[in-house]
Amino acid sequence: MAALGRLAVCLALLCAVFAVGASVAGAARRRRDLIGAGANAAYAVFGLVAVAVAILLRALLAHDFSLEYVAAYSSSTLPVQYTVAALWGGQKGSLLFWVFVLALFTTLVQLQNREQNRALMPWVTATLMAIAVFFLALLTFVTDPFELLATPAREGQDLNPLLQNYWMMIHPPSLYTGYVSASVPFAFAIAALVTGRLDDQWIRSTRRWALFSWFFLSLGNLFGARWAYEVLGWGGYWAWDPVENAAFMPWLVSTAYLHSVMIQEKRDLLRVWNMVLVLLTFTLTIFGTFLTRSGVISSVHSFTQSGLGPFFIGFLVAVILAAGGLVAWRLPALRTRGTIESFASREAAFLFNNLILVGIAFAVFWGTVFPVLSEWVRGVKITVGPPFFNRVNAPLGVVLLFLIGVGPVIAWRRATPRNLRRAFAGPLAAGLVAAALLRLAGVPFGWAHATFALGAFVLGTIVQEFYRGVRARQAMLHEPAPRALARLVGKNRRRYGGYIVHVGVVAIFVGVAASSAFRIETQQTLAPGQAMEAGRFTLRFERTESREDAHVASLAAVVAVDEGGRRVATLKPEKRLYKKPQQPTTEVALRSRLTEDLYVVLGAYDPKSGQATLLAYVNPLVSWIWIGGAILALGTAIAMWPSPLERRERAWAAGRVGAPAR
Amino acid sequence: MSVGVHTGALALAALLAAGPLVAAPPTQQEIEEALTCQCGCGLTVHACNHLQCPSGEPMKREIAERLARGESKEAILAAFRARYGEKVLSAPTFRGFNWFAWVTPFAAVAAAALALGVVLGRRTRARPGGEAPPPAAADPALRARLARELQDLEREP
Repeated sequence: MAALGRLAVCLALLCAVFAVGASVAGAARRRRDLIGAGANAAYAVFGLVAVAVAILLRALLAHDFSLEYVAAYSSSTLPVQYTVAALWGGQKGSLLFWVFVLALFTTLVQLQNREQNRALMPWVTATLMAIAVFFLALLTFVTDPFELLATPAREGQDLNPLLQNYWMMIHPPSLYTGYVSASVPFAFAIAALVTGRLDDQWIRSTRRWALFSWFFLSLGNLFGARWAYEVLGWGGYWAWDPVENAAFMPWLVSTAYLHSVMIQEKRDLLRVWNMVLVLLTFTLTIFGTFLTRSGVISSVHSFTQSGLGPFFIGFLVAVILAAGGLVAWRLPALRTRGTIESFASREAAFLFNNLILVGIAFAVFWGTVFPVLSEWVRGVKITVGPPFFNRVNAPLGVVLLFLIGVGPVIAWRRATPRNLRRAFAGPLAAGLVAAALLRLAGVPFGWAHATFALGAFVLGTIVQEFYRGVRARQAMLHEPAPRALARLVGKNRRRYGGYIVHVGVVAIFVGVAASSAFRIETQQTLAPGQAMEAGRFTLRFERTESREDAHVASLAAVVAVDEGGRRVATLKPEKRLYKKPQQPTTEVALRSRLTEDLYVVLGAYDPKSGQATLLAYVNPLVSWIWIGGAILALGTAIAMWPSPLERRERAWAAGRVGAPAR
Repeated sequence: MSVGVHTGALALAALLAAGPLVAAPPTQQEIEEALTCQCGCGLTVHACNHLQCPSGEPMKREIAERLARGESKEAILAAFRARYGEKVLSAPTFRGFNWFAWVTPFAAVAAAALALGVVLGRRTRARPGGEAPPPAAADPALRARLARELQDLEREP
């Protein structure tokens, strides 16, 4: 079966090369037969890569330890869900999975565009398949997932215990989906540049793909944060690790694009800027993969490091040169004649929002690469860790939060003082009242205080928008409020879905600010029966419980939690010792409430004295990060869902109906 | 709207009346967060939770001892830096080449904001449009037609 898998990858590489050549030749010579052959070759790539993935998955599930990959990343005792996750748990498998997702998206894009974008599609196919060629060449010549061991292993070395967690099953696929789907807008941008079709068509065709990519990048980052929170046991969820940064940067740039593209759609401005953002988002996904794989910067994700760094940096340079060259070539055609008419306009607010988002992305990039730069320039190794990123990004984040409130409600073109008063008097009052109440309640001035106050301001703008929209429908159409609200959102899903996303973002900001600024931490070594205080909780160490199976041995401290003299929970933080490889891990015990999480870690246990060292964290409002993520997901789903009007427009554009309804 | 403005003004007054915070002496946590654990975890000494970490645990003990002796944060960080090199600090210092680490992001954002401001200012001056005219009072017939057409739109599948 391994030989069949390798053959499938080799044939996929040949088909991808053919798809690039046929698509380019077909577009250049205007030969539909060649373009069709290129598209069919791309379908074949998907089929062949799917076969290769199926073979590797089967080998994992059948514990075929003759394969080096299976022996290195699974074992016969690994639970089945983690055996499936081992497909992307190692480098070779994750690259195969990446190219599988890419081939799947290429297929979907081709099916979507059978009746449209005929001039762009050969170049889209060629670009997507050129990316596939790079990954398939790595899998064929450098890092073969179907490599056989000289002597089959009797047992596998198992998946890294840190990856044996529910969130790790969905965090990497979400990020890969976000990364890979960023290839689609990138491919359309390249096609638009090559063909000179620089109007809005490529943007309209990739609007939903860009949102889809952003959605999965958002989920991937949040799932990764949740994994770190539950698994790493240090009470936090974001450590500004280089690989975390690598996933965060494309998200930031993609967020900037989703906003600035609205200016191009409404006002036909910022064509060059939008092109640059799309190209930069894709480039950053490759840069992220380079950081993860190269080991050039030390990271907690070191389990993914390999010698692939030079290949990725070569590919990155090629992408930058090609995309940059195309933009420079088409620069005169990309320039628009229109202009932004006033600082007090939605266009200007979105531009400043872009500035801050790209500024944060740059700050993160700068902090990530600065240790390498320092070593080059001074020959001195330095660390750029959380204190740097927190200090640099906190003020930028607060400005961004303010602009989240301003952008969606300020008028297009030019806001008059009357417009501004109408849009902002209420929300500003809400922000100031919140700031005053928080201060009177004892919340000190600082970034957290500013975040809460600005959060109230942003929520004020959103509530006002919904309220006015519902009132307008009630006045015009005499609808009851619930129906007016449902119709308001349903008829303009992109706009109101966006507002809901902003509510989610505010919740995330508030959760991050509160849990960073007001966290309570205590650590104490206790004998059975002894207690410690953590905020308003009393934690009593009662006893230990141990259990063992073929896969893992664990020791749990049974901790009774009292609040105000009343028992509210019994928590069992664990230390686990995985047997293959012999590696201890932490299993955090959590009591999650909307107001705070009580997060207990068993730091150490001395069997001789029976004493346990417990670390307890009280993380205020941290649940709002995950709730904010869910709200963000809901808002994005609403924004992505096609409206009846859009469906009619598409049908009309495709010529299936005579004319749009009037 | 005027209620909003007045409420905001009152809130602002209450906000300004509240006193500023007083700086606290350095804490164990603050210093642990300023140092990187040398066990290879990539986290700060404070965040490293490796079981009996051979690097983080002795560092935490030493910080506690030095604080108990009344040493300042700067002195404690300098002692660790002398032993492990500059990489033990979890953030760049504010001196020499490291200064660029701190200044560059803000300088880049400020320069971009300035450039954007200048370009926008030039273009907006070039088009003196003044305020947009206030919207005309809606004609009742027009409002009725709009309502009718919106209702038609609502009825569409």
